[in-house]
Amino acid sequence: MSRKLIGAFVALGLSAAVATAQDYPAKEIQGIIQWGAGGSTDTVMRAVTPHAETVLGGTVVMQNMTGAVGAIALNHVAGSDADGYTLLMGAENPLLYKVMGLGDKDYSEFTPINILARGTPILVARNDAPFDDYAGMMDFIKANPGELRIGSTGPGGVPSVVTAMMNTEEGTLDVTAIPYDGDGPALTALQSGAIDVMPAVLGAAIESIRAGAMKPLAIFDTEASAKLPDVPTVTSFNDGYNAYLPWGPFFGVFVPKGTPDDVVAKLTEAYATGAENADFLALMDGRGFTMMSISGDAAADFLTTWQQNTAWLLHEAGLTKASPEEFGIARPGQ
Amino acid sequence: METLLALLTVFTQPDLLLLVAIGTFAGIYIGAIPGLSVTMAVSILISFTFSWEVYPAISLMVGIYMGGVYGGSRTAILLNIPGAPSAIATAMDGYPMAQRGEAGQAIGVTTVMSFFGGLIGILVLALAAPYVSVFALKFQPRDYMLLAVLGILLVGSLSSGSLVKGIFAGALGLAIGAVGRDPLTFTERLTFDLQLMEGGISFIAVMIGMFGVSEALLQLQNVDKTAVRQKITKIVPSFGVIRKYLPLSLQTSTIGVIIGALPGTGGDIAALMAYDHAKRVTKNPKVPFGKGAMEGLVAPETANNAAVGGAFIPMMTLGIPGDAVTAIMIGALFIHGLNPGPMLMVDQPDMFWFIVGALFMANIFMLIFGLTGIRIFTKIVEMPRAVIIPLILLLSIVGAYAVNNSISDVYWMLGFGVFGYFMRHYGYPLGPVILGVILSRLLDDNWRRAIISEREDLGRFFEGILTSPLSFTLFAAVILIFVSQTPLWTALKTRLFRKASQ
Repeated sequence: MSRKLIGAFVALGLSAAVATAQDYPAKEIQGIIQWGAGGSTDTVMRAVTPHAETVLGGTVVMQNMTGAVGAIALNHVAGSDADGYTLLMGAENPLLYKVMGLGDKDYSEFTPINILARGTPILVARNDAPFDDYAGMMDFIKANPGELRIGSTGPGGVPSVVTAMMNTEEGTLDVTAIPYDGDGPALTALQSGAIDVMPAVLGAAIESIRAGAMKPLAIFDTEASAKLPDVPTVTSFNDGYNAYLPWGPFFGVFVPKGTPDDVVAKLTEAYATGAENADFLALMDGRGFTMMSISGDAAADFLTTWQQNTAWLLHEAGLTKASPEEFGIARPGQ
Repeated sequence: METLLALLTVFTQPDLLLLVAIGTFAGIYIGAIPGLSVTMAVSILISFTFSWEVYPAISLMVGIYMGGVYGGSRTAILLNIPGAPSAIATAMDGYPMAQRGEAGQAIGVTTVMSFFGGLIGILVLALAAPYVSVFALKFQPRDYMLLAVLGILLVGSLSSGSLVKGIFAGALGLAIGAVGRDPLTFTERLTFDLQLMEGGISFIAVMIGMFGVSEALLQLQNVDKTAVRQKITKIVPSFGVIRKYLPLSLQTSTIGVIIGALPGTGGDIAALMAYDHAKRVTKNPKVPFGKGAMEGLVAPETANNAAVGGAFIPMMTLGIPGDAVTAIMIGALFIHGLNPGPMLMVDQPDMFWFIVGALFMANIFMLIFGLTGIRIFTKIVEMPRAVIIPLILLLSIVGAYAVNNSISDVYWMLGFGVFGYFMRHYGYPLGPVILGVILSRLLDDNWRRAIISEREDLGRFFEGILTSPLSFTLFAAVILIFVSQTPLWTALKTRLFRKASQ
């Protein structure tokens, strides 16, 4: 507590004199994690940040700020001073807030420091499901309309996007979507038989697949995963998926727009170096994440493309509250 | 042999033992302060212990977890403010004891019984983890829903006085729990288009306000009364006392382990259910429940500490967290390069046995730290009200702010504090409000999941309940407990009794 107090006093003194980038970081940096403790975003951020701190020569105090699908954290950081002392550690959802009617801000109010990695969706089924592969599932859906229970995590979540892809490519599927608050609880429900299939992130399901507690049906990527080489890609069943893939949720560190360039440069360097740490790479590999570690224009382009593709996909599947056009989100390829 | 070595790791390495001890000690105080939660402490520890080896990091976390679950009872007994949600039931009989000058005795019994409950939880974890996790996985959404309904029926035993007022309070709690963006569909509910309401109302803020601030306001009315002198003899309960409550504590520990092992339910629900169970099975308590019945302390405290061992069961066997704290510990294992999941027990059985050993030691430290220093603690109750009331308010404000570092939580907390004061004034019990908030999402989410998976067909829903043995048992329990609270039951009982005596 006393350390925090001293920190606060130091900060007070420094804000009087204009802090220059040479001094940065001159006080503790706040890292606001958009999701709860123990989740994927939380784990990734807590794993990479200590390595970035060594490069930065400062302390990043991480704190989970949950609520309203992450919008509370996003609004908090967007409203803070653009001085590099408040970081947003978030995932992909904010890019869909506008079309989903969840908020009026997204990453366009931020400068990306580093898009660390992306996840790969995988479709898994419970062990005693009456089919063993992707084609079998499609036949089952056609033969038993409305009977297949598919896990979801609410509009805009990974399962909703994967389901939208399937609906677009395979024709509208008559399935029953059961909502869960996160893929962890949904995968638990899958093992207890409460749902039949679940489009999850590879990292969340990999250990259970390895143990034979659930059946993998298809990887939603253009190439097979090195972690699960035997699982077929969904593009091997239907070429049409190539239009959307590779696609996946991602994790990134952001600062509010208007942060001084040299501060952004310092942070970018710190996180880029941190993301090269061997322990961190091993952790990400073990969880089946694909490392990206992009920043600057590459990151900005990635965000734009991701938002265009996903927002329009969801819009055309009839899942959005408002058209992407209203927010100036162009159709992919335009 | 290897198993034994792994189990004994914590005993053979003094530094690990020390870390467990430090963790437990810190946990007791973190648990005792409302708003500072074990969940928060463990997630801070993830960053703090980042560069450590995995065993020391886990040692510290296990200690904090065990100590924290127990620590919540301290402030519940001494100040009528549960330090953690799992100590809500403890306040109901613990505080009346403190008011009679028996705080020392109450803490003594609580400590020994927490130790006992913790021990049962650890034993079940060590000996039967795979079986319990298979059982826990049997629970379907409709079973969770029935469990929540069973919980709602506790309103009867949590409200002293008018049942109608209790039901009103419970319904209010359910509504408070539903405020904000619905986590399943993201639709706004009861938000009145205010951004403030979008994130929902923090349950901890409600709890601290209702118990902490309203207690402080209530005490203002008798500022000039002198505090009760606390008797500090007979702190450690005699063997006879322990033996007397042994059967009850075995039952409530079992409730604790099972509720703890179910993903999505934790020590708070376990403690309330155990309290209700105790009230049901204790025919003639020496002191009535709500006035300082020993059974009312034994039940929740055994259950919430037994839930700790229970929560580790799905975590260690399946990689599924049993509650919020184990969810964070799974993240910690990941960061330390382990892969928690169904294969952990196969690939790294040492980890499992190490955690069992560490939990066991944490439980023993909890007993030691719990039974020492009681004398100093009981002095808190003897402090003049002019000191204690501002202290309670300060603690409440810090606690409410600490949950989310958000100032609006402090306003919610103060608002509910004033509201809670008036509720008490007009004889509305506060327990059911908190119960409602805790159960709101369990009930609501699982009801929706259950009915959606039956394609919104009530016929199929009930068919499911009647054909599954687990659902049917829960359903029967719901009906039975419901009927037992209506006048119908008394009428039926007298009639049956008369028949038998003829």
